[in-house]
Amino acid sequence: MSEKIYAWLLRLYPSRFREAYGDEALQLFRDRSRDERGFFSRVRLWLDLLGDLALSLPMEYFRVQPEVIRSSARLSSKNGPSFLVLANQPLGAGALLSGSALSLAALITFSVLLNHGVRPVPLSALIHPTSGVVNESSSHFSPSTPRVADNTEAGAGASTSQEQPTIASTSSQWANGEASDAQSRPPKQQSQQPEGTTNPAGRDARFDKAECERVIEAAVANLKEHYIDPAIAQKMEEALLSHENAGDYDTITDGAAFATLLTRQLRDVSHDMHLEVVYSKTPLPERSTGPSPERFALYRKAMEQHNCTFEKVEITTHNIGYLKLNSFPDPSICESTAKTAMASLNHADALIFDLRDNRGGYPSMVMLIAAYLFDHPEYMYNPGDMTERSWTQSPVPGNRLADKPVYVLTSARTFSGAEHFSYDLKMLKRATLVGETTGGATDVGVFHRIDDHFGMGIRETRAINPYSEPDWAVTGVGPDVKVKAADALQTAMKLAESKLAKK
Amino acid sequence: MPKQKLNPLPSAAFQILLALAGEDLHGYGIMRRVAAQTDGRMRLGPGTLYSSIQTLLEAKLIEEVDTREDAKLGGERRRYYRLTSAGRKLARAEAERLADLLRVARSRKILRGEYV
Repeated sequence: MSEKIYAWLLRLYPSRFREAYGDEALQLFRDRSRDERGFFSRVRLWLDLLGDLALSLPMEYFRVQPEVIRSSARLSSKNGPSFLVLANQPLGAGALLSGSALSLAALITFSVLLNHGVRPVPLSALIHPTSGVVNESSSHFSPSTPRVADNTEAGAGASTSQEQPTIASTSSQWANGEASDAQSRPPKQQSQQPEGTTNPAGRDARFDKAECERVIEAAVANLKEHYIDPAIAQKMEEALLSHENAGDYDTITDGAAFATLLTRQLRDVSHDMHLEVVYSKTPLPERSTGPSPERFALYRKAMEQHNCTFEKVEITTHNIGYLKLNSFPDPSICESTAKTAMASLNHADALIFDLRDNRGGYPSMVMLIAAYLFDHPEYMYNPGDMTERSWTQSPVPGNRLADKPVYVLTSARTFSGAEHFSYDLKMLKRATLVGETTGGATDVGVFHRIDDHFGMGIRETRAINPYSEPDWAVTGVGPDVKVKAADALQTAMKLAESKLAKK
Repeated sequence: MPKQKLNPLPSAAFQILLALAGEDLHGYGIMRRVAAQTDGRMRLGPGTLYSSIQTLLEAKLIEEVDTREDAKLGGERRRYYRLTSAGRKLARAEAERLADLLRVARSRKILRGEYV
């Protein structure tokens, strides 16, 4: 048995050596194993053999064959090209076969690695449920929900759409009563202005039964074509048709009231708060147009004049950082302002974000600021977007805020992007929300024009909400500590102080 | 090339030359003789042994004499090796070199005179 093992080990030597001395080496092994008996001698024998193998194998392989030396001496004396043949026999079939097999394996491995091993897989490919979400013939709009109308101080509940060139899904919502600080707003993009029910001018003489039928027919068609869940679309269709047959719409003479009723009925069936029918007194444009350069220039100027709506950035008592932010402005204009503001708060022991007057803005700014609150990339759910943009770019180099307590002040006029910020920080248990339930404004649907006065918003992305609680659409984000908006700052200061005192 | 390989002379090669100084031996005989003359410290394994033999043969320091049976080890035929005059010369040169070293070691009081 052991002789067989040694015979096998001998095969490791070059064939030249084996031919010359293989038999003798084996003979020597036999002699030694015959003479050296007993356990310890045997162990010593095998240790000798293995050590010998390790030493002499490389020596044998590096040995230069005398034929080569002789022939190279011969070669150097000649002129012209010449080559050496080391083997005096042709290559065996086995050598050729194993050589081809090895090359083939190497080739396959290389091409497989080239195709699969090194290509980075974009995160969006893993979580993006649909592609080509943006509808050419539609624009994004901001819904005017009855709830928002009730909650806003202005009460008008009318909203203005603001389309963003870089972010396809979210915009802020503006109440009519905010005209005084129109300068700080993003530009109004288009004339679509759905009228609230409280506006007496909303009564439209042209609304009649034919219009009603046309709108329902178009709404049903749009749901069939665009709604993410065909079964629910079917149910909504049945509901609308049965209401129509029952004559529920016969008494309605007001377009806005009709839109509100349809919206409520669709939501009753689908429980989808992002679904909406809107009415506009002024004719809707045929096609959406991007924001004009003039409007963008206006917006830029307003942002520059108002410090990008970073109204107040300061360190208050007990080293608590306070940031009053009135929108989440376009990072293409305000990135450096935001970074400067966050850097100036870097050494705070706690942070208060005052979003009580924040009407929303750009999701990318929400993500930019949220990145400072984590030491690792965190998923910030946004119902309208579901790409790698939903992950914070954490950690931010040099940032010390990732583990500091955070308080967010909210009011009933905290909208849209500000709700995005509040909702996710609350769900991630990263912040304590202090104040009132937020406005409940989202703007994530794709707008489908029905005719000059009616359109509907349908959310066509199914962004995964990792939390059990529904997002802020219509209902808003509830605070952790419920106080009047006016008292929120004082309350948050007390909470922060007592938390820091415990440390 | 073999000259370079043997300069300096590896201790295994030197021990083989010394082992063959007294009589012709086969591989196993060389191995046992080397073990004996080093008090068992150097046990040449087959790889080292035959690799060294090969080198010494190429340098014509030893030669093959004949193939015959060893009466003590039973019926197998074995190849016997003999020291050539060149091998003997080289072994003597190496021994003198070591003796010189030894004198230096003694003069530096690393070795006491009587002991070796």
